[in-house]
Amino acid sequence: MLRVFLTAAVAVVIAATAWVFWDRARGPTATPIAGFSAPFVFGRFAVPPDNPLTQEAFALGRHLFYDPSLSGNNQVSCATCHMQALAFTDGLAKSPALSGGELEFSSMSLINLLWGQERFFWDGRATSLEAQALMPIQHPDEMDQDLDALITELQASRDYRRMFRKAYGEVSAENVARALSTFMRMLISSDSKYDRFLRGEVRLTAQEEHGRKLFMAHPDTKVSLRGGNCIDCHSQFLTSGFRDALDGFSNNGLDSDDDLPDGLMAVTGNPAHKGFFKVPTLRNIAVTAPYMHDGRFETLEEVMDHYNDGIVVSDTLSPLILEADNAPEAGQGTVGLRMTPDEVQSIIAFLNTLTDEGFLTNTQFSNPFEGDG
Amino acid sequence: MKFKLLAQSVLFGAGLLMVGLTPAQSQTREESQGMVLLRGLPTLDTDHSIAIVELDPESDQFGELLSEVEQPDIQHPLHHLYYSPNGRLYSTGLDPSCSLAEIGLSRDSSGTPVIEGFTCLDTQGQIVGEDIMWATSNGQEYMFVTFMGGTGGDDGGSVGVFDTQTNEVVKIIEARKSQVGEGEPYIMYPHGISAFDDRMVVTSTIHPDMTTGVGNVLTIIDLNTLEPIQNIVVENEKPLDFPSSPVEVLFARPDMHADIEPAILANTMFGFETWKIPYDADSKTFGEAEVIYSGVANETAVPLEFYGTEDELFISHGLPGVVKRYELAALPELVSSGPDIVADPGAHHMIFFTSASGRDLIAVQNNLLNLGNAADDDPTDVDFIADLNAHTITIHDLETGERIAEVNFKERYNKGVDNVEGLFGSGFVHHH
Ligand code: HEC
Ligand code: HEC
Repeated sequence: MLRVFLTAAVAVVIAATAWVFWDRARGPTATPIAGFSAPFVFGRFAVPPDNPLTQEAFALGRHLFYDPSLSGNNQVSCATCHMQALAFTDGLAKSPALSGGELEFSSMSLINLLWGQERFFWDGRATSLEAQALMPIQHPDEMDQDLDALITELQASRDYRRMFRKAYGEVSAENVARALSTFMRMLISSDSKYDRFLRGEVRLTAQEEHGRKLFMAHPDTKVSLRGGNCIDCHSQFLTSGFRDALDGFSNNGLDSDDDLPDGLMAVTGNPAHKGFFKVPTLRNIAVTAPYMHDGRFETLEEVMDHYNDGIVVSDTLSPLILEADNAPEAGQGTVGLRMTPDEVQSIIAFLNTLTDEGFLTNTQFSNPFEGDG
Repeated sequence: MKFKLLAQSVLFGAGLLMVGLTPAQSQTREESQGMVLLRGLPTLDTDHSIAIVELDPESDQFGELLSEVEQPDIQHPLHHLYYSPNGRLYSTGLDPSCSLAEIGLSRDSSGTPVIEGFTCLDTQGQIVGEDIMWATSNGQEYMFVTFMGGTGGDDGGSVGVFDTQTNEVVKIIEARKSQVGEGEPYIMYPHGISAFDDRMVVTSTIHPDMTTGVGNVLTIIDLNTLEPIQNIVVENEKPLDFPSSPVEVLFARPDMHADIEPAILANTMFGFETWKIPYDADSKTFGEAEVIYSGVANETAVPLEFYGTEDELFISHGLPGVVKRYELAALPELVSSGPDIVADPGAHHMIFFTSASGRDLIAVQNNLLNLGNAADDDPTDVDFIADLNAHTITIHDLETGERIAEVNFKERYNKGVDNVEGLFGSGFVHHH
């Protein structure tokens, strides 16, 4: 009896060892994301051919995203400034800098990054997510981590070695970027009330519907069409900026020529791009206050006040904004949409339909080091 | 050309799409892909299908079907595709079991569009779905569908009003000629549909069996009451000795172009004419109907569709298979904006897009007939229909009209091609 047991035990040990070797020797397993489906109306997207969406890359990316050991002081993770419950923003006007003080810009929400502009950051300085992902890690005021040191650290972890092997093969900075990108690409929000409305599953209230119409219309007094012209920049379904060329960047009238920040011009060197910023998605906008690249507005009411009569004229102000006026005959003291308070409230009601509770609480996107991970 | 036979056996489709790409759509570079309805050809043993085809001649995949869903269980194919303003895709259908359908679309993890299937909708007995448009009645938007067979009978025909969210029938607008009083407005065999302000117009085309009757009027519907209020006769020359059979209409209106004086334009399939009926928006009255284009004089026949870009209006003529082009701003007058685009016999639906290198293109689907020949169950082996069924999509330079390439669906896929629509809704903004 004992012999039988021992033989069995030896067999198990041999099998286990063999499996471990085999598992190590074998290349990455690229399991397609199960049940992936994205709304057709979001339009075309392209995933880099050398970084397809796979379960393994997603799992690795999710761990990296939430892991403070990616930072020099092992205290800051991507999730420090990109929190799921706040649609991956941090609720601050400007994120705190490691060296004290604050960063130049407000944290951006990470939603539906498969679509919209193919440039990242407020000023568009990163041309791919892969290029973007390593920037905050090395940024002295964000995560302040040396990449070589990071790779050594990750290599020391058996879990990471395994996850990297399954996803890509080796542990490398390039693969860190790839995995983080895959995780971020999978942050798809498509189940807000607005989405369900688009699919015909629910109705909007009269006020929300009124707001939706205003959002989608460029005002035209000649044919008595009232509108908020939001769609001119925040596209119809994604509510983010357009993909083509640099169409997804513009100046929405926040500052005068005297204080206009460089924005996109810092990247392109083109003076016509001064003060241009990335048109952000408005999905989950109700939970991402404060607003704009510098977090200057606390509430959506303040944002609407800005578009309604607080537009600051500058040389590069978008003509789409300058032209959009529902009451051009009214006093010319201000520049803006000149909508009624009711109309403004309706647009805000519509913006509130963009909140996707399922996305904000989706356990697949949550911290894998906590709870059911 | 045996026009008589032709007249007895033709049913067409058509959607008048006003095309104007807003920034909202230029977001996608999938505009060179077409959504097509393919017809199975019985003698070639193929099934009807919905498919996505690449139409950019510069693409390696030119002419390839990128996704296809077959409909083996449906005897008569789907008919015309339309995108709703919210991006849902619908198709009318000729089979009584599927007169109206919603088509499911999604994307896989590589971003490739996928046709998931289709759901036939309850039309409450309305059959032979033709055109769809979304319009507003008393501040509420509805989906309006013309059913050429209506709820059946010799003088059937209805406009179905559907809830845009649930796809449920809200109302069936019907007014049988045999039941309304003498001189009262009726709706019969409606096909084309268009609207401006609170006035909608539908045509009276032909009984779906092609023999029982042919129409020659337009019906005006009051969108406030959803009741027909007026008939307008559009008949003059009768080259086939048949009633004129108005098929497609376009309510030309200022929101298409600020310079446009409102008027209805209507193509008559058997009269070969284009008509103009001026509209006075203040008094809500229509003026004298007048012929503004004669096919007999211009040697064209079977005028079908109206499509508009930002500055031009295009009208397809099944014979000899040309698309004529006009200044949009000059509407309702037809002021030529360039030479004809010479497509193939059956020139019908079209889409506009740019090639990968940025060349502006127009693709024309050349296939007039959407119904097979009942006698031998094959629409392709009958001379007169073959004359109007090239089974091709021809691609032309939009500026010069020069023909650049073609996809012959019969040769390549053993199927006919009944309809083309931009993958991402080239008709998103202005339908009809
Ligand atoms: C200290 C706070 C902070 C940390 C940590 C941080 N971010 Fe950010 N993130 C920001 C801020 C602020 C911006 C906007 C910066 C700008 O435009 O210059 C931003 C922007 C982005 C964007 C651009 C989104 C868009 O739509 O263009 C991405 C993507 C992103 N972060 C991903 C990450 C990833 C991945 C990590 C971890 C490796 C990370 N961030 C860590 C604060 C942070
Ligand atoms: C001319 C283009 C344009 C138009 C029109 C426009 N926006 Fe914006 N929007 C932008 C840009 C650019 C930004 C980012 C500006 C910045 O931070 O510098 C922005 C930012 C926002 C923000 C803040 C987003 C965030 O994450 O902080 C909200 C909210 C917003 N817009 C709502 C609207 C609404 C509602 C309308 C219509 C009433 C509208 N926008 C019209 C271009 C536009």
